[in-house]
Amino acid sequence: MNIPNSSTAPNAGEYAGDEVSAIVLDPGYSTTRAGFAGEDVPKSVCPSFYGQIDKDSSSHYLFGENAIHDPLGNLQIKNPWGSDGIVENWDTATKVWEYAITSRLTGSRPSHPAKNGLNDANTNGNGESVDVDMEGLENLENTEKPLGDSPLLMTEPGWNSVKAREKYIEIAMEEWGTPAFYVQKTGVLAAFASGKASGIVIDVGASHTSITPVLDGMVLRKGVQKSPLAGNFVSNQIRLIFKQAQPEIPLTPHYLVKSKTQVDAGTPAQATYRTYDIPPLDSFRRNEEERVLTEFKESVVEVWSGNGRFSNAANEEMAARLPGRPFEMPDGWNQLFGAERYRAAEGLFDAGAALHDADNPKPKDEHTIPRLIQAAVQQVDADQRPLLLSNIVVTGGSTLLYKFNERLNNELNVIYPSTRNKLIAPGPLVERKYAAWIGGSILASLGSFHQLWISRKEYEEHGTNIVEKRCR
Amino acid sequence: MASGRDVREMLGLPGFDGPKTAPAAKRSKAAVPGKKIQGVAREVAALYGERPPPVAVYEEKKSYRAKRQSTGPAKKWVLQPFTNQARSDGLVLKHWRRKPTSLPTAQSGEDIAIDEPNSGENTDVYIEDSGEFLRYAVQPDMPTFSDEEYNMHLRSDDWSREETDYLFQMISDFAYRWPVVWDRYEYKPSSNSHLSTAQDVPDMENPLATMPYAPSKSRSVEDLKARFYDISAKLMKLRIPEVQMDADQYATYEILTKFDPVLERNRKNLAAALMNRNMDEVKEEEFLLAELQRINMAANRLDAEREELRSRLEAPVPNTQVSAGLASFTSSTALAQLFSQLFQQDRSKKRAAGGGGGGGAGPGRLSLSAADHLTNTPTSTSHGGALSGVNRRQSLAQPAIQTPVRHLSPNAELRYNVSTHERLTSGITFGADKLLKMRQAKSNVQTQKIGQALAQLGIADIISIPTARVGDAFESLITKVSKLLDVRKVREKEEGECRVLEAMKARRMSEIQGDDDDDDDDNRTRREIQDSQERESPSGNGEDDDDADADADADGDADGDVDVDAEGEEEEDEDAEGEDVESQMQQSTRQASEAMSTRATSTGHKRSASVLSQTSTKSNKRARK
Ligand SMILES: Nc1ncnc2c1ncn2[C@@H]1O[C@H](COP(=O)(O)OP(=O)(O)OP(=O)(O)O)[C@@H](O)[C@H]1O
Ligand SMILES: [Mg+2]
Repeated sequence: MNIPNSSTAPNAGEYAGDEVSAIVLDPGYSTTRAGFAGEDVPKSVCPSFYGQIDKDSSSHYLFGENAIHDPLGNLQIKNPWGSDGIVENWDTATKVWEYAITSRLTGSRPSHPAKNGLNDANTNGNGESVDVDMEGLENLENTEKPLGDSPLLMTEPGWNSVKAREKYIEIAMEEWGTPAFYVQKTGVLAAFASGKASGIVIDVGASHTSITPVLDGMVLRKGVQKSPLAGNFVSNQIRLIFKQAQPEIPLTPHYLVKSKTQVDAGTPAQATYRTYDIPPLDSFRRNEEERVLTEFKESVVEVWSGNGRFSNAANEEMAARLPGRPFEMPDGWNQLFGAERYRAAEGLFDAGAALHDADNPKPKDEHTIPRLIQAAVQQVDADQRPLLLSNIVVTGGSTLLYKFNERLNNELNVIYPSTRNKLIAPGPLVERKYAAWIGGSILASLGSFHQLWISRKEYEEHGTNIVEKRCR
Repeated sequence: MASGRDVREMLGLPGFDGPKTAPAAKRSKAAVPGKKIQGVAREVAALYGERPPPVAVYEEKKSYRAKRQSTGPAKKWVLQPFTNQARSDGLVLKHWRRKPTSLPTAQSGEDIAIDEPNSGENTDVYIEDSGEFLRYAVQPDMPTFSDEEYNMHLRSDDWSREETDYLFQMISDFAYRWPVVWDRYEYKPSSNSHLSTAQDVPDMENPLATMPYAPSKSRSVEDLKARFYDISAKLMKLRIPEVQMDADQYATYEILTKFDPVLERNRKNLAAALMNRNMDEVKEEEFLLAELQRINMAANRLDAEREELRSRLEAPVPNTQVSAGLASFTSSTALAQLFSQLFQQDRSKKRAAGGGGGGGAGPGRLSLSAADHLTNTPTSTSHGGALSGVNRRQSLAQPAIQTPVRHLSPNAELRYNVSTHERLTSGITFGADKLLKMRQAKSNVQTQKIGQALAQLGIADIISIPTARVGDAFESLITKVSKLLDVRKVREKEEGECRVLEAMKARRMSEIQGDDDDDDDDNRTRREIQDSQERESPSGNGEDDDDADADADADGDADGDVDVDAEGEEEEDEDAEGEDVESQMQQSTRQASEAMSTRATSTGHKRSASVLSQTSTKSNKRARK
């Protein structure tokens, strides 16, 4: 009668779903994603950057998209993540994450339905409206903590330290008061989001690129590889391109421009600029520039996907003949970008082709994506390699670079010509960017998963190191 | 519209007829697609046009959802707390459930009471005990052993008890996922003999410094497996003696004991090497595979064609093997049959096509017999004049086809066994069949005689490599043999006649004279005969022996030559005999004038035959040399 296919929802018993209104938190360097398990998109996506204004020996913090782009005096923009891909500043990280959860998800605690005035009209109602029985909701102690009655599933990078994991559970239990907690690697969850229990996950985010071999839902730790060549690296390459251009291309973020006028391509901008009495600090400007650069990445940067590497003389010539792409800066300056646009992301695959200067050292060859994959596969049992290579899951915001997958595919087929290499890259932008969160959403809504939660009782019994034993 | 038409009809207006038929036709046409496609919107179905898609891409029985029936008040949902039976800590989580109708109403009455802030102490809240997902809480089956057992049987030089326990713990933790076990295997021997899991604790303080410990002996997957399988096998044997194991158990036991880490490691190395091949090697393999496939396909096609041919011939289907299929066509008769059938088909086809071209070359003229093709040799022409006639006619009917021929030097022709023919017959003949055919004469007796002669010469029934040259030699040999046989026949006849005449003469003599003179005369002639035999035969023999020797010396493949020579010798003998007979006759037939004519012709014949054969043997020998 009801033929199961991709468009009909399976029965609850079939997918073992059992939603316990768990919250999934996927913190990343550029954004922090949070939402209820069982939903398909994180409801709350907040920047991981936060604003800080130091005023006479005390600091004032600002969180959220609206606050951090407001050019306040002495505002500096910071990020709690360290350069090694592990949280560095735990206090602010906690605050950023808490903001991501409370701003959209839990919010203020609901008042009792009998008193909140919403149900007044219902006294003589006809019973059509779904009447939620609130008795269960009020049964547990009404904590002031943000996660009083939601289990929390967090994601962590594959190389997270034991100390960091223990800090995670400590924050969740002590500060947010969650009844149950679990932490899972982003790689595993990204694979789950694509419906794979085994595979190699290539995650090119903002601060780090990581390769995670996953077997039956478990990370093969020896194979986990990471490198700092990711979205931020591409941004820095673009900055270098701008700087090394003749003449230098000015990079003026939006907040400095009051109004602009149309100018011809390549001619200096004619805009009126804003000035501030107490200007925000440099880090603010840098973050604002980053927005422009992301825009540039989205619309201009392209990964060379022709034969071989871009640095071949023939390829550069060919690229120069291809039509360029226009880009306009916030101040009206605009130009057609030809072969340069291939240069920005080439460093991800070919360290030799990366631009460099004093501040941006030449990337290491073993940090390029093909070498990382090779290193990861090398660390896996020989029998599992073909299986993993036939399930290569691609995720992370920077994989949205135009033609990224084609190039990756080419590179893979060069390294492993004899295996069947299959890239699994979800088409929709949301699924690509939020794959780890979506995988967590799937996992936390499974009835069979509820055996795995670390409960408050267990935490109190065993202390923080229980996370090492349970979340393997 | 309908009403408008009605009005027009009533008024009998013109233009009524036209529109009437058109919509009718239209409607009928619209009705032709017939059964309305279910489950597809009318607009979408219209887009299908005449040809609906071959596969229905819609659900069969989809229709509008039934109107929601309001059956009483809305069902209530509750955020139901539950405990999971798979957990031991009694964690209470909450999920949405339909509010059970059978719930005691007293509970709902309690609603207000629960509202108090201290509701956490409320113990009489219904907590569901959910065992729904209990079946997913599976523990892997692990072999267990006691301390005594370990000390008695399971000790190993390479493995401490502690590490063995750690290994078992890991295997159970990761449910036999060996790659994961190996990946996570980080055994660090503890200074104090605590359980290995407990000593992870100091490590926690300093997560990044995993190195201060000396790296433990690195174990490969094979090492881990070998240890575990070894223990499992030993335990299994302890629990169930080998003889009492059932088939399954024994199979498992075998697998456990047969595990060879070295072999496994080699296999993995090979697998890794296979994966790490470079592009060229992979290309080559692909190329070879493609080639193999091509060959296979060609072979299949060939098989299929043969199969078809065989089924056309309505031959009893032989077994499907190619070789066997071919074998059924190795005999000449089968091939001849095949040929004639094919030819017949071909002819009927031609006839059906109208035979437009050659008016003179009617189908009747082309009526070749299979034998004609297969025995297209001079021997056959000498055997039957009729056949040669047919041949001639055929050659007349088929004008020589001019094809550009690349000429080889005679040397090369010889080397590559290339031969040019004036006229080619269609179809394939086997050299062996040709030879076989040559052995056969018209009468069975003759055939037998030829066979005997050949056997005497030591020529095998089947000559292994029947090349054209061998064929030629054989042919000349056969010619000679048959001639000799003819000669022998004539001789026998003559001898018979002689005997008869002699008997007649003797009788007449006895009738006329009846005294000793005759006897003397008779004796004398007898002696003469013997003399002449003695006189002549040694010389003949000697000559031929020389020849034979020379031949044998000259070339290694002496067999054929010697045979031929021997034959020549025989021939010579016969000659000698013939002369004897002749001389005898010359003496004896002075009186019998009647028989003279026949004798003369027969001798003449004999002479010429012997000369001919002699020259031919000589030339043959020369050719061979
Ligand atoms: N359409 C796009 N094209 C190119 N780059 C993009 C695009 N969209 C986002 N990015 C880049 O992707 C990065 C963010 O990706 P993502 O959200 O996966 O990172 P993250 O998970 O927050 O960081 P990390 O994984 O390093 O902790 C940013 O550097 C951003 O510039
Ligand atoms: Mg990420």
